[in-house]
Amino acid sequence: MAGKNRKLITLQDMKKPQDVQLSAPDLNSYMKLPKPYDTVESQPALKEPKGSWTEKNITFLDGYAGIENLVRPETKEEERALVEKFLSGLEKILSDDTNRAMIQPLLLSLEYCAKCNTCSEACHIFEASGKNEIYRPIFRAEVLRRIAKNYLDKNRKLVRKWDENDPDLNWETIARLGELAYRCNLCRRCAQTCPLGLDNGLIAKEIRKIFSQEMGIAPKPLHEKGTMLQLKTGSTTGMTKPAFLDIIEFIEEDIEEKIGRKIKIPIDKKGADILLTHNAGEFMAWPQNPAAFAILFEEAGLDWTLSSEITGYDSVNYGIWYDDYQAKQIGTLQFKVARELGVKRIIIGECGHAHRAAAVSLDRSVTGEHYIPRESSLPLLWELTRTGKLKFDPSKNNFPVTLHDPCNYVRSMGIVKPQREILKVIAPMFREMTPHGVDNYCCGGGGGFAIMNSMNFAEFRNTVSTRKKFQQILNAFADTIDNPDIPKYICAPCSNCKGAIRDILEYYDATEKYNLQYDGLVELMVNALASMDRPYLEFLIEEEE
Amino acid sequence: MPFIEFNGQQIEVDEDGFIQDPSIWTKELAEFLAKTEEVEEMTEKHWKLVNYLHDYYEKFGIAPMIRKVTKETGISNKEIYELFPSGPAKGACKVAGLPKPTGCV
Repeated sequence: MAGKNRKLITLQDMKKPQDVQLSAPDLNSYMKLPKPYDTVESQPALKEPKGSWTEKNITFLDGYAGIENLVRPETKEEERALVEKFLSGLEKILSDDTNRAMIQPLLLSLEYCAKCNTCSEACHIFEASGKNEIYRPIFRAEVLRRIAKNYLDKNRKLVRKWDENDPDLNWETIARLGELAYRCNLCRRCAQTCPLGLDNGLIAKEIRKIFSQEMGIAPKPLHEKGTMLQLKTGSTTGMTKPAFLDIIEFIEEDIEEKIGRKIKIPIDKKGADILLTHNAGEFMAWPQNPAAFAILFEEAGLDWTLSSEITGYDSVNYGIWYDDYQAKQIGTLQFKVARELGVKRIIIGECGHAHRAAAVSLDRSVTGEHYIPRESSLPLLWELTRTGKLKFDPSKNNFPVTLHDPCNYVRSMGIVKPQREILKVIAPMFREMTPHGVDNYCCGGGGGFAIMNSMNFAEFRNTVSTRKKFQQILNAFADTIDNPDIPKYICAPCSNCKGAIRDILEYYDATEKYNLQYDGLVELMVNALASMDRPYLEFLIEEEE
Repeated sequence: MPFIEFNGQQIEVDEDGFIQDPSIWTKELAEFLAKTEEVEEMTEKHWKLVNYLHDYYEKFGIAPMIRKVTKETGISNKEIYELFPSGPAKGACKVAGLPKPTGCV
């Protein structure tokens, strides 16, 4: 059912002229949030878009714009180029020669969909939007499917040239489809639930790939300031080796001041058992996370190191969200660092997409001389807990805790139990979200959304794509939400998810009003370490002061 | 790229108003950018923060981590939001002439 004030959108609508906006943001139509955000008045009002981009960018899909360099063509030639380049990119993603890694699941997903809509029920964005047709997972896929059907033959070769009088395809369709590829978190909950195993998330990603590889169009935080900056400086944060070393020195001093222990963080230790890799965003925004890893690894006596080599200190790989070629380049460099250091394995810290990129996506594309075993830190942390190498006093975590499951290693890799077994040991007031584990919902920041903040995209994230997660969080803490004296901890072991959750809490002022706190898993572990004589979590330290 | 007009000059900024060339940054430009960030007057504390950010950027090519900022300037995170309502990354860094922070931060 469409929202109250909303007309049903059809595929034909995608080609409406640019002065027609297909849908408009509307809090009244969205999925209801639990108390205390159960009224529209209790939520921040939507902002009227302003700025020159409202005229320039593609706002005529749903009133939002996420891609800086996807802009309205100014001439007939530019219109033609937009459509023709898209069509040639489409031919490439449907060719065995140019899309070998993805062609099989992509073709299956395009050819076998029975439109049963099981996926729609599973999609948090579709549900949160009040079931807005344009966000239905198969809507996006169907637009692509129809273009492919009209322009390619049975052997998937382009058989027609675009004619500007084509009643089914114009530049507005392509432009809207480009933005629509960024209304999916690529969480693959739809793929998990599909009775045929088809993957509409993959279709969204492949559309992104056409735009990036063939048309040079991609969100700036993912491409220009993402993979390109990482290839140039070693990190999407722009962090260079001297900056990294300065940060590590600071973290060492900080650990000593905070917990009274002098820890030397090993850097570039040749032949170590473990190369620990972090999302460099942790160093910049959440240094307590790499610090907590250092405290735990030292306490457990592990043989480990960090790397200060270019690409060795940033585990991110935004390429998997929009461009396989970029993903492969970055992955190759990251594995090379580990090989040259002579470590036995890479252990991936609390970053979901780094897990999926390094452990799954690159498994087939970076092989041979660069091969190096890659493992998640979570089973290792559980091993250290289970065998008593780390000893805990759970009474230190005497506040409600819930767990967010990052899609990239829970759904995509099946790492479900270690983090819960740890929480059962260290957090007596742990409660699950509903649903959880492989049935979890995305934080709403997946697929690049957490770092896309240009124009008005953050509002889409904060009101639509993270809405389901916010609902789950509020439900998990329904018993104590009214009491601001009780801190409520959202354990989110993933940098990207933490970023999205931080923004939800800030947007709804939920930390200030209801004492909702968030951070990773290792911080909570350090806080409960039996050997610690003072709290580690910031909000507990502030409370004491 | 959008432009802003400052002292009769066209200055290139990104979609969010961050200047594109940090080398053109001056105190006067900082004061001008502060106005776009709902900062009416740059007090001593504003300058302490902005100068720290600018100096760190000159040395390392990135913005300093937020924890380092609060520790070394003695200005708490909460105070930063009082000084620059849109926060350390969007507000203070912009006034200090840094590019918009990138990556998962």
